[in-house]
Amino acid sequence: MKTTIAPPAAGSAGGERSRLRRLIGGGALKLVLLLYAAGTLYPLYWLFISAMKTNEDFFAHPYSLPSEWVFTNISRAWDLGNMGRAMLNSAIVTSVSVALTLLLGTLAAYVLSRFQFRLHKLALGIFVIGMLVPIHSTLVPLFIFMNKIGMLDTYGALILPYTAFELPIAIFIVIAYLSSIPREIEEAALIDGNGWWGVFFRMILPLCKPALATVAILAFLRFWNDFAFALVFINSQALKTLPLSLSLFSDGYGTDYSLTMGAMAIAVLPTIIAYLIFQEQIMKGMTAGAVKG
Amino acid sequence: MPASLRSNRFILIALLPALIVFVLFAVLPILWSIYYGFFQWKGMGDAKFIGLGNYRDMLQDPVFWRALRNNLILVVSAIVGQIPIALAGALLLTANTWFNRLIRSALFMPMVLSTVVIGMIWGYIYNYQFGLLNQALTLIGLESWTQAWLSNPKLNMYAVSIPINWSNIGPYLIIFIAALQNISSEIHDAAAIDGATGWRKLVSVTLPMIWGTVVVTIVLCIAGSLKAFDHVIVMTGGGPAKSTELLATYMYNSTFAVYRYGYGSAVSTMILLISLLLIGINMAVTRRKSS
Repeated sequence: MKTTIAPPAAGSAGGERSRLRRLIGGGALKLVLLLYAAGTLYPLYWLFISAMKTNEDFFAHPYSLPSEWVFTNISRAWDLGNMGRAMLNSAIVTSVSVALTLLLGTLAAYVLSRFQFRLHKLALGIFVIGMLVPIHSTLVPLFIFMNKIGMLDTYGALILPYTAFELPIAIFIVIAYLSSIPREIEEAALIDGNGWWGVFFRMILPLCKPALATVAILAFLRFWNDFAFALVFINSQALKTLPLSLSLFSDGYGTDYSLTMGAMAIAVLPTIIAYLIFQEQIMKGMTAGAVKG
Repeated sequence: MPASLRSNRFILIALLPALIVFVLFAVLPILWSIYYGFFQWKGMGDAKFIGLGNYRDMLQDPVFWRALRNNLILVVSAIVGQIPIALAGALLLTANTWFNRLIRSALFMPMVLSTVVIGMIWGYIYNYQFGLLNQALTLIGLESWTQAWLSNPKLNMYAVSIPINWSNIGPYLIIFIAALQNISSEIHDAAAIDGATGWRKLVSVTLPMIWGTVVVTIVLCIAGSLKAFDHVIVMTGGGPAKSTELLATYMYNSTFAVYRYGYGSAVSTMILLISLLLIGINMAVTRRKSS
């Protein structure tokens, strides 16, 4: 096993025996790592096998594979627990918020990276300072504000705060990306008779695709999984998103554990698929997000 | 129309939507919560100005202090649990082999899962009757250890902290791997010439090289604890008898369950003040590091 702690091959006398020992030690470390990784994934594995069991099976053999594979939990959760409706709500809120974040974020990033104007520093400063705001401390004032303007219990009550809190990260990712693109191309396009809007939509947006992909994936994960905003701003059954519906699922079907597991499986599947496809971007992006935000 | 005017109009129209949404939904709420924090207000009727009354009530409320203490438990558990595990993992996973990449991906996985699902799964793991933990203990003959993990006020905060730490290890791992990969090969060569290997090299070469990163991760643990909310709401709701209340859940429970919007605003402001204080400390520490 190659690690940075292991010294470069000793190559001294008796190297044969120490090499053997290193080989065994390396194997043991690999095994420990494998076990730890398996332990990390186990709760997820357990969720999926439990979602395929009957309740009797779930209580009698919690660890084993289903003695009889049942797929009705998932279809019943979809119908009974309003998971279908919740999935639709999550999809609407998430996709509109992602689109809004991309559009507003890229426009702002383009302006902030390419133009010098009087309030440039102030605008940039507002986004930097805003990143320091702890999300939870805005729940109460936002609730009061939305209550006043009659916005509670609408899709907008989620879409606008989601977009707002994702904008700084989106703007800084796109600004960083734009700084690596030479301005000459845009200037040429501008001379060719494209206005700023033409340059933006025909050049900047397509050029920024890799950065936009990262922004979109991170935003998708954040919006899809959000619980706090939905908990406070959404009350009506017809508008509840997946995490919120799930957290209330046990009120109605508390003892039907396999059914609840089926509902949870529905909720996590989209993010797991996204993760399997975009691992590298997600790991890098979320780590950067943790450091900055 | 002259070009400068045209570009001015473009700047305005392109920048304003983002700025308006951001200021209205992320910046102004902070100012409102500071303002409402001085009032007694049930959400309807007139708000009554009571000065610092809400803050006095807060500081006299044992639940507030309990919540603060629980946040501290989260910080400590992250520092003694997350950081050593992530660092050890990073040391073993520095090289970019396919095996290491696979393990890294697995360890990062919980980061993309819904916090509600994580909370519910761990609620089941801790369940008194059918929970995996109690069943496992019974299986290995430690039946006397089985208990209601989330109800026992002596233990439940620690029980709650495990899934929070478990699901957040990924970024720490990646931060440490990046730091370790940044150590130049000359330093490794020099250490090899000096005969430093194994633990000795770890303690006297590797750790000092990445100490700045360790400090950054400790600061992240502190900031991260203030963000904890979802897991606790789902697993315990802050109970039983407020024993697992955190600052954020205290804010939630003392606002929306009892319609004390003024008080909730004051708690929100307190959370803001505490996190600004932490950011200040963070900046002081990192500045000293770089100078």
